[in-house]
Amino acid sequence: MKRTIVPLGPQHPVLPEPLVLDLVLEDERVVDAVPTIGYIHRGLEAMVEKVEYTEMGFVAERICGICSFMHGMGFCASIEDIMGVEVPERARWLRLVWAELSRIQSHLLWLGLGSDAFGFENLFMHCWRMREEILDIFEATTGGRIIFSVNRIGGVKRDIADSELAGIAERLRALGERFAEIARVFRADPSIHHRLAGVGVLPAGEALAAGAVGPMARASGLATDTRLLGTHGYDRLDFEPVVEAGGDCLARVLVRLREVEQSIDLIRQLVDRMPKGDGQPIETRVRGLPDGETFMRLEQPRGEVVYYLKANGTKYLERFRARTPTFANIPAMISLVRGHDLADVPNIILTIDPCISCTER
Amino acid sequence: MDGERFLARVAAYRADGWRLSVINTTAVLPSDELPQGAFDISWSFALGTRLEHLRERVVPGEEVPSVSPSFPSAFLYENEMRELFGVDVTGIAVDLRGQLYRTATRVPFSPGAIRRRLEATGRLGDGARHAAKPQPRPTTEAGA
Repeated sequence: MKRTIVPLGPQHPVLPEPLVLDLVLEDERVVDAVPTIGYIHRGLEAMVEKVEYTEMGFVAERICGICSFMHGMGFCASIEDIMGVEVPERARWLRLVWAELSRIQSHLLWLGLGSDAFGFENLFMHCWRMREEILDIFEATTGGRIIFSVNRIGGVKRDIADSELAGIAERLRALGERFAEIARVFRADPSIHHRLAGVGVLPAGEALAAGAVGPMARASGLATDTRLLGTHGYDRLDFEPVVEAGGDCLARVLVRLREVEQSIDLIRQLVDRMPKGDGQPIETRVRGLPDGETFMRLEQPRGEVVYYLKANGTKYLERFRARTPTFANIPAMISLVRGHDLADVPNIILTIDPCISCTER
Repeated sequence: MDGERFLARVAAYRADGWRLSVINTTAVLPSDELPQGAFDISWSFALGTRLEHLRERVVPGEEVPSVSPSFPSAFLYENEMRELFGVDVTGIAVDLRGQLYRTATRVPFSPGAIRRRLEATGRLGDGARHAAKPQPRPTTEAGA
């Protein structure tokens, strides 16, 4: 059969960021896909040659406007690991509060984009309105809505008063009730199921072989979640990875729905269990220069991110590398679109929640 | 590097159910011991909460076999290694022929390119950046 190549991207209604997939078609069916990125490669990793390690965390934050807090946290935690810095207790808890807030806002953003892509504009508006409430919390506690600059090597820059934390927990409780309403729509609406159920199925074995991470892997039945390492304070929280067995586009939606609910619960646990008392230390003063290397893993909203840092006893790092979750999920995405109709490709791409800024750094 | 032995170790990880987590390359700048510089490459594998690494030091022009026979998802990392660092990876499952990234500078992270940038900024020789001795193999799960 004659083959046709249809380029999808770099501009496409479902792509908030530029990515090209050259889709090789036989009739309407995709038989292969070849990715091209590079439209927004900024060379952030190379900035270690010019930017001192004490400032590089602010560059790391700018890898992505959605995972910005966790990029900053990952960088600082990596330096802390190399230098053996003990982060104050309160700072560890606060980082987790912001990290889980990041997960909620990222998933709400994606659920909105997904709704818009499969033709449910009203749901998009509800999701993004809720996301605004999370951004309001970020603004009140960090001063920023996208870039926060609240992580420091050795801790955090700002505290959140106990009364404010209680208020955040209450706001999230109320948001959780309203979220349950829209989650019910995602779970039950026939038009959503019609577009997503049974589409883009990634079996567990293929997910493992493709190196899938995050909701992408968990929707295929793999109970992988870097938070299970128990690092950064997650060992003090009660949770299980959210796993769905379906492996299809719908399962990936369901995982993110449940993870929003899970993160709200984790923040409630954090607020309940955090040692009370304002005015506790939130930053350890760091002296000296880092020397050594580390691999650091965090569970971002899109999945496992791996930071590699190599320091040499100078102000400038020798290597900073961030392997982001979208980078790890692209091979799985390519294997998914094979065998599907062209019309299903946008939804399949969207359900991996691609972040091209993260991928290109 | 001993390609056959290396690929056998990679295949063992695959057989034991490990996931390829990341392949990372670090350029080692030219020095008296390494006139052309070198690359420190680590292949990291994850299983449950464990993370293990294989590490090799190769010099520019030395062939590095693709691990895609065991881990097909490696093609992105390997194309990146070739385009950004100039590592000569052979047998990549999906060879994008230099079209993955569209960087203005060809192989911007090659030892020579980094050295030229550092020279231009007067930062060459700043501290131990150019140390030719290999770092010890990373073994810790960071942040534990």
